[in-house]
Amino acid sequence: MFELDTRSRKPIYEQLVDKLKELIINEVLKSDEQLPSVRTLAQQLTINPNTIQKAYRELESQGFIYSQKGKGSFVHPGNETKDSEKITTVKEELERLILEAFFLGVTTDELIQLVQKLNASKGGGEIDD
Amino acid sequence: MIKMQNVSKTFDRFKAIENVNLSIQKGSIYGLIGSNGAGKTTLIKLLAGIYLQDQGSVTIEEELVFENLSLKERVFYIPDQPYFLPQYTTKQMAQFYKSIYPTWSDERFQTLVAWFELDMKKRIHTFSKGWQRQAAFILALSAKPDVLILDEPMDGLDPVVRKKVKNLLIQDVADREMTILISSHNLREIEDICDHIGIIHKGNLLIEKELDELKSDVHKVQVAYKDGVPEQLLSKLNVLHTEKRGSVFLCIVRGKEEEIIGQIQKTKPVLLDLLPLTLEEIFIYEMGDIGYAINNIMVE
Repeated sequence: MFELDTRSRKPIYEQLVDKLKELIINEVLKSDEQLPSVRTLAQQLTINPNTIQKAYRELESQGFIYSQKGKGSFVHPGNETKDSEKITTVKEELERLILEAFFLGVTTDELIQLVQKLNASKGGGEIDD
Repeated sequence: MIKMQNVSKTFDRFKAIENVNLSIQKGSIYGLIGSNGAGKTTLIKLLAGIYLQDQGSVTIEEELVFENLSLKERVFYIPDQPYFLPQYTTKQMAQFYKSIYPTWSDERFQTLVAWFELDMKKRIHTFSKGWQRQAAFILALSAKPDVLILDEPMDGLDPVVRKKVKNLLIQDVADREMTILISSHNLREIEDICDHIGIIHKGNLLIEKELDELKSDVHKVQVAYKDGVPEQLLSKLNVLHTEKRGSVFLCIVRGKEEEIIGQIQKTKPVLLDLLPLTLEEIFIYEMGDIGYAINNIMVE
């Protein structure tokens, strides 16, 4: 399904959460689709099942997935509360990064240009669909 | 749940283990790391019921380990140098373990022998170090223990076999909630499969923590300023180690990522980088903190 970088400094648990979020946000994993079981994923990626369990719990508490007893974990269909929460966290992240960019000497104009460029390429992506 | 409470063990006058409290949850993979001669093997032998502690208690699921036969039927221990009965073949060893472990699975044994392509009719002592270890793993996993204790398990195995072994261990943890204790010097090796880590030094357990927590607790920070490092920077942070490389200041800081970044950003650096540490680095700096530092020496 995907590969993790075990040589990376980033904790495996964080890599897993980020990777799965990415797949869910980009709708590679669709609403109500079942996620691979902890056991399958552990074996495929050769990583600790407890780490996967922890990542799933984190995704659940962030509202990305839901679990059904005895059946497994599924992708949560997008709903407004989840989206608004997500928007807040993304904005916080952005704020932090933009501040960092300012400290590093990136100008406001450069950032605006970047935003416009990204927006344009996103539009292009939709047309391709 | 494996528990050690106030455990001490002395050999003659040498205190190998002193007042150790340790707990390992069921289904967890616990990595025990430590300096040379720190007491890792002694601790493991206490857990396996080979040594009797002088003080304190060693329990698995609330039962004392030492001389507890019914409990030992559920524990398998592979020492740092795997032991086999003299002149025995793998097949004969399998018969031996089958008579000891009620959970032994012949089917599993056959599957594993085929998968590792091991010649089970050959005497084990004629095998190379790596093959002997593979034989030990096959036997251990066929016994299907609830607790598996491994002392330097990956020693002498090639990368392909390592991966195979890890994969098997993980399956048993996922399927049967087997608990694993691994001791190792090779931190890279255990970093990717352990969920909890215990660091032992001179007979004391220094740290016992979830690995992710340990990793998100210590950071490597690189900062640079236009006109020198402001003095208030270090006083506000819990710094383990500092180093100056040219105009870039490198420090190892304990604390939460956001707080560290917040504190440092107030001092307006021109460059700020924050990296998680590898287990190896955590080990080195934590040990340095208690005086087991790396002092580079020049040899002639």
